[in-house]
Amino acid sequence: MGAAGSKLEKALGDQFPEGERYFGLENFGNTCYCNSVLQALYFCVPFREQLLEYYANNKNIGDAEENLLTCLADLFTQISSQKKKTGVISPKRFVQRLKKQNELFRSYMHQDAHEFLNFLLNELVDILEKEAQASKSDPETSSPSDKLANGPKNGLANGPQKDPLVTWVHRNFQGILTNETRCLRCETVTARDETFFDLSLDIEQNSSITSCLKNFSSTETLNAEDKFFCDKCCSLQEAQKRMKIKKPPHILVIHLKRFKYIEQLGRYKKLSYRVVFPLELKLSNTMEDADSEYSLFAVVVHVGSGPNHGHYVSLVKSHNHWLFFDDENVEMIDESVVQTFFGSAQEYSSNTDHGYILFYESLGTGNKS
Amino acid sequence: MMMHNGSNGYGNGVMTSASSSTATGTSSSPSATNAQSQALKTYFKTPEGRYKLHYEKTHPPGILPYSHGKSVSQITLAHLKEKSTHSGPAPSTSASASTSSGVRYAAARLLGVGGGNGSRTLSFVGGNGTSKAANGTSRSSTLAGSNGGHSMLNSNYDGKGTYLIFNVGDTLFISDLNSPDKDPIKAIHFSNSNPVCHAFDPEAKDGHDLLIGLSSGDVYSASLRQQLQDVGKKLVGAQHYNKEGSCKEGTGDSSFPVIKDQTQFSVAHARSSKSNPIARWHICQGSINSIAFSTDGGYLATVGRDGYLRVFDYSKEQLIGGGKSYYGALLCCAWSFDGKYILTGGEDDLVTVWSMEDRKVVAWGEGHNSWVSGVAFDSYWSSPTSDGTEENVMYRFGSVGQDTQLLLWDFTMDEIIVPLRRCPPGGSPTFSAGSQSSHWDSICPVGTLQPAPSMRDVPKLSPLVAHRVHSEPLSGVTFTEESILTACREGHVKIWVRPGTSESQSSNSEAIVGTSSKEQPLLPGKTSVSSYKSVHV
Ligand SMILES: [Zn+2]
Repeated sequence: MGAAGSKLEKALGDQFPEGERYFGLENFGNTCYCNSVLQALYFCVPFREQLLEYYANNKNIGDAEENLLTCLADLFTQISSQKKKTGVISPKRFVQRLKKQNELFRSYMHQDAHEFLNFLLNELVDILEKEAQASKSDPETSSPSDKLANGPKNGLANGPQKDPLVTWVHRNFQGILTNETRCLRCETVTARDETFFDLSLDIEQNSSITSCLKNFSSTETLNAEDKFFCDKCCSLQEAQKRMKIKKPPHILVIHLKRFKYIEQLGRYKKLSYRVVFPLELKLSNTMEDADSEYSLFAVVVHVGSGPNHGHYVSLVKSHNHWLFFDDENVEMIDESVVQTFFGSAQEYSSNTDHGYILFYESLGTGNKS
Repeated sequence: MMMHNGSNGYGNGVMTSASSSTATGTSSSPSATNAQSQALKTYFKTPEGRYKLHYEKTHPPGILPYSHGKSVSQITLAHLKEKSTHSGPAPSTSASASTSSGVRYAAARLLGVGGGNGSRTLSFVGGNGTSKAANGTSRSSTLAGSNGGHSMLNSNYDGKGTYLIFNVGDTLFISDLNSPDKDPIKAIHFSNSNPVCHAFDPEAKDGHDLLIGLSSGDVYSASLRQQLQDVGKKLVGAQHYNKEGSCKEGTGDSSFPVIKDQTQFSVAHARSSKSNPIARWHICQGSINSIAFSTDGGYLATVGRDGYLRVFDYSKEQLIGGGKSYYGALLCCAWSFDGKYILTGGEDDLVTVWSMEDRKVVAWGEGHNSWVSGVAFDSYWSSPTSDGTEENVMYRFGSVGQDTQLLLWDFTMDEIIVPLRRCPPGGSPTFSAGSQSSHWDSICPVGTLQPAPSMRDVPKLSPLVAHRVHSEPLSGVTFTEESILTACREGHVKIWVRPGTSESQSSNSEAIVGTSSKEQPLLPGKTSVSSYKSVHV
C-alpha cells in the first residue's frame, strides 16, 4: 500500500498536482462496481466541488440522520483532506449505507456499475428534493445554495415535471431530449421532452461513439404492431420518430449497452464490440446553435467475458494525467493506453477490458450556472 | 447475478418512468449488425463497373496477432526497375537545402506508446516517385553483403517488379504484388522495436530507396533490392539514424538545441553539417500521426493528436496554413496529384477536403461509422464526363476506416453548394484555378490555423460506394494504375482490380469469388447515407 503510493508519487514527481489526492478504494467483496464509479465521480471536479460545498454549508442540518448523500460527502471529504498524497481508503460506511438502502446491492454477487450510478444520482436528487421541501416549510433553515432558480433557458418548458427543482446534481448531469413524432397521415409533429442523467446507447461492432449517437438520433418509423396514436387523427397511425438533444448536459455520461438479452439463449450476453471513443467529442444533433464540445475525463471499464462475473476498473484524467484505478491500486498511464479499452474487433479475443461508461465534461462555459 | 431485470439500459424502448434517468436509444440502427454477420463480398460496384478482389496478401500465421500497444500495419508500394535501366542523376531542380545524405526524407516522431491509430509518419520528399533528391555522397561502398552470391530470389535478382511492403508486430514483410502467392517472399525481423512506418522512393540516388521507422524513433535507410537478394532475416546494408531516439530532447548527444516553447512551431538545423538528421521541425504538442509531401515536394502536410492539419512551405520552412478537425485527433492525410487539395481523416469520423487555394475546409465526407484511418486520391481515375477544362475537374478519392469499410467519393468544386458563403467586396466567388489570390489572404493570413468549422457551415459529401472490405478495422488505402489496395491493422492486404482490366486477371479473381449476392452502388442522396444529412440541415 505504502509502496504503491510512493511509486505513483515518484511517477508524478514535481508534476504532482497541488492539493490533489489519488487514493485507491478498498474492496469489500465484489464492490468494484461501486469503487470504479466513485473514482469517476470524485474526479468529476464540478460534482466533487459542489458536493463538498453543499456538505460544508449543510453539515449541521444533516447531523441527525445519515444518508447516501452524507456518506458520499464524508468519503470525498476524507479523501480530499488526507495528509498523504496517495494511499488507500476504505469506503466502508458508504457501502454499508448503500446495501442498507437498496437490497439489490446487498448480495456479494457481481453488480452492474451503470445501475449503481443511476441509483446513486437518483438517490442524491431525492435527498436534495426532500431537504428542499423540508426547508420550504421551515424557512429558517433554508440554504441558498440548493435553491438556485432555474433560468428561462433551461426551464422544462413542456416537460411532464410539475415541480422542476434544479439541484446541483441536475446542473451537472441533466440534459433534455426531445422526442419528436410526426404522424405520416396528418403530418402533425408531437414533441415530448424528457430529461436524462445519462444516455444509453446501442452499440455495433467496429463503430464509434459518434456513430452510436447518430443512430440514437436517427429517424425510426413506427408501423405495423408499433403504430402511434395520433391525437389529431384520433387513431393509430404510422409515424416517424426521432430523438434530439434539446439541452446538452454539462457532464455527458454515455452508457454502452454491452449487456444484451439474447432471446435465443434466454440470457444476457456481453458484447465485446470494438467501439472507439475520442478524447474530444461534439454533439452536433442538438437543437442549440453551437455544437457543444466535450472532453473525456473518466471511463468505467468492465473486465471479463460474461455479464455475470468480472471486474470493474476506471480510467481517470486529472490535471492532464491519465490514471488507472483498480480498487486499492492507482497507477499513472499514458494517454495512448486509453485506446486499449475500446473492445475487440473480433468476437473471440483475449482482450476482455472494455469501456462501459464514458464521462465527458463540456468545454463550453454556457451550460453551467 | 447482475441486475438485468430493470428497465434501465438493457431494453430497447424509450424510457418512460419519470424516476429513471437514463435515456435509452432505439435499436433502429440501419442493419449494421446484420452486415457484420454477413460474409465479405469479393467485389463492389461503381458507376464505371465492378472492382473485383484479385489477390490477398497476408503473413504467416505464426506471427502474434495484433495486441495492445503494438504497431498498426501500414502498406508501401515499391516499383523496382531493372537494374541496368537505373537512370543516372535525375535533374535536380529542387533548390532546397542540400543534405549530407543522398536520401532526403522527413520522419515524424511518434509520441506515446504504440501510436495505434494507424500512423504513417515517414515520407520521402516528393512522395509520388517524383522525388528530387539533392546531390549527396554515395555510401554504397560501405555496405555489407552487397554481393550476395546466395540469393534465394534469383528471378528478382536484378529484375524489375512491384513489391508490397507492410509491417506486422516486430516484422517487416515484402510480398510480390503481381504474384498469386498469399505469403510474403521476405521477412525482416527487428529485435528491439517494432517497425511502424516505411516509405519507398525509386529515385533515391544512392540506392537507399527504402526507409523504415521504428516505434523507438530509430530510422533506417536501405536498398530494397539488397533485402530481396539476402537470405537472412535481418535488415542488411542499412544506414541507421536517430539511434534510440537520440534526437530526443534532453539527451546529451543531441545536436539540436532545447525547444524553448513547446506550443510554437520551430525549425532547428543540425550544428554539424555532417550529422543526420539535418534538421528538427518542432511542429506541435502531442504525436504526429501522418505526414505527406505534395507531389512536387514543395509542401509538407502534417496531422496529429491535437487535431490540426498544418501545411508548410518545405523549402522556406514556413507554416502557411491549416485548420482544426471537427473534433478529436487527425489520423491520416493525402495530397491531390495537382497539389490543390488535401484530404484528412480522423476521430470525428469525417473525411475532410481542404483547399489549398482557399486555405480552408471546403467539404466534409460523411459515411464512415468509425474513425477514418486512411485517405488517398485516385490519380489514375478520370471522370467520364470530364470536359478537360481546368475549372471542371472531378476528383475521385477513397477512404478507409475502423468501421472496416472502404468508401469511394467523387468531388468537384462545381457541385459543392456552399452555405452562407462569405464573399469579400470585390472578390470573386468562383473557385477558378490559380494561386492564392489576395482577397483570401486578407481573410486568412498566411501562417494562421483555422478553428474547427461548425457542422452547418461545411458542405457535405456522400460516398459513391461503401463496401465492407475486411473483417478487421482498416489502416490504409492505396491506388495503383490497375487496382485499389486496402490493408487492415493486422496486416492483411487485399488487392481490388479495376473494372475493365484484362480477362486473365478477372479469371483469376473468379477463383476467389464465392457467393455472388448483389451489391448496389450507393448513389448520393438515395441511400441510408443521406439520412445523416437531415440531422445537420
Ligand atoms: Zn395524425
